[in-house]
Amino acid sequence: MAQHVRDVSPTEEVTSTRRVIAASSVGTLIEWYDFYIFGTLAKIISEQFFPKDNPTAALLATLATFAAGFVIRPFGALFFGRLGDLIGRKYTFLVTLVIMGGSTFAIGLVPGYKTIGFFAPAIVFLLRLLQGLALGGEYGGAATYVAEHSPAGKRGFWTSFIQTTATLGLFLALGVILIVRQTLGVETFGDWGWRIPFILSVFLVAISVFIRMRMSESPLFVKMKKEGKTSANPLAESFKQKDNLKMVLIALLGATAGQGVVWYTGQFYALSFLQNACNIEFVQSNMIISIALLIGTPFFIVFGALSDKIGRKYIMMAGMLIAVIAYRPIYTIMYSDANLKNKVEVVEKKVVSVKNAVKGADSLITTITTKTFTDGTSFKETVKAKFPVDPVLKAALPKDKLKPEIKKEVTLPDNLKYKMIGLVLIQVIFVTMVYGPIAAFLVEIFPTRIRYTSMSLPYHIGNGVFGGLVPLISTRLVEATRPGPGLPPADPLAGLWYPILIAGVSFVIGSLYISNKTNNMDA
Amino acid sequence: MSAIKRIFGIVWALMGVGIVPLVIKQAMKEIAAKPSEENWIFWSIVIVVLMPIIAFSLITFGVFALKGEYDTLEDI
Repeated sequence: MAQHVRDVSPTEEVTSTRRVIAASSVGTLIEWYDFYIFGTLAKIISEQFFPKDNPTAALLATLATFAAGFVIRPFGALFFGRLGDLIGRKYTFLVTLVIMGGSTFAIGLVPGYKTIGFFAPAIVFLLRLLQGLALGGEYGGAATYVAEHSPAGKRGFWTSFIQTTATLGLFLALGVILIVRQTLGVETFGDWGWRIPFILSVFLVAISVFIRMRMSESPLFVKMKKEGKTSANPLAESFKQKDNLKMVLIALLGATAGQGVVWYTGQFYALSFLQNACNIEFVQSNMIISIALLIGTPFFIVFGALSDKIGRKYIMMAGMLIAVIAYRPIYTIMYSDANLKNKVEVVEKKVVSVKNAVKGADSLITTITTKTFTDGTSFKETVKAKFPVDPVLKAALPKDKLKPEIKKEVTLPDNLKYKMIGLVLIQVIFVTMVYGPIAAFLVEIFPTRIRYTSMSLPYHIGNGVFGGLVPLISTRLVEATRPGPGLPPADPLAGLWYPILIAGVSFVIGSLYISNKTNNMDA
Repeated sequence: MSAIKRIFGIVWALMGVGIVPLVIKQAMKEIAAKPSEENWIFWSIVIVVLMPIIAFSLITFGVFALKGEYDTLEDI
């Protein structure tokens, strides 16, 4: 598309191509990294800023987790999308990067609840909202910017680099957290070390801003502006005009909703399932996901490039259909392989240790039981029972306060670990099929004058609302099968019905109504 | 193909309309059974955020499909 603006030599064009892709992708990757460290460290953040005994702070914790991801992202899409269609892509996604980096850095510096009281959760909540707002504006800008630089036959390939950034951002977040945690030790990390991944963001953002500042504006936007064809009111034009609204709806229902749930299931739900349903130990579960993400990431580019040859629709729909069919068998195997009931214990290797410590007026009894199984699996159960030393005070406490804290950790042998990596990798491949071509698909169905606004909203509703709700709704569905408090759920796979249903409907709508033809993206 | 797209339009619109009473009824039932903060937050998110998006988009999409707005997007 660069040829439309000025004549360039092939060498110059390749260099320019690489620069455009690199500048856009690095910034977007850093934004995803910033967004995910909050989610990945949610438990520690909750302990530092949102103490459970303060109901308002606990409510803010829930809202901080959900509001930023679901409600605010689409608002960010509208706000920055409008700006991007009015003043240009380059400066708009530069602003989102600075807002994201600044708020992430600031979260790393906010004193805890113990130091400044209620201000701590309130400040963190506001900063998290800013993160969501910035993320809502970033992706559409980067995808539009790259697509408007790319030639028609290579748009899927070019934009697929942007598509790798969400997964690489998650990978980077998990990697940095694991390295810092291993280097400092679990206790120091929980104490102050968790701030490092947040503070680190400022350096990454500074580099990215420097690179992006040197980039030129999108050639299609420049051409359109020169001709005076920019939209006066992108929001009204995007959502009040029937011709455009119908494309927004088809993008949401036939593509991004299904893509969102497949994306979240293959990456976040898989991690949550390994840790909570299978009780796989923290480091091992993160390693399984990280390795699968790393191996699977190149497939974003493979499917993006393939979509230039055979069309976007067929690949996205195939990804959704296979995911719908394969989810339950995959998760059944994952659950079965980690289930201790299917394993034979080496009884003579069982070790039980009990420690009794008195801390002030409280007594803390820690019982650690370690079991080994014939297939090489090891299991560690830590039971911490805390109660007042004074028997009168102990008797006065309600039963739920005396409930011991139980932590179960399963460590799989290498062969099962590799099998788990393979099973998660299959899900990452589904993700790459639905997500690899989707940026090109979205930018191609909307006209240049309102592209940033129009593509950003369905993308962030699909990912933020439909996809982002996967953990909440899936957990709820599993809980509904629990026969009683403290008992295991009757169907630990019940959570999969939500992504299966949404992806199934999206597949039917997408197959019926989406065109496989590639648009030329003329201004 | 156009006829199928239009007939399915009725399905999408009906799904959009039907989801509202279904979700509200389920929310009221579950909150009445256990009026915990957790229940309130969950159903508030579903009713305030998810349900309106699903209902509005499915109804509007269904009506457009029924009117033949998507007939021209033919490629199968």
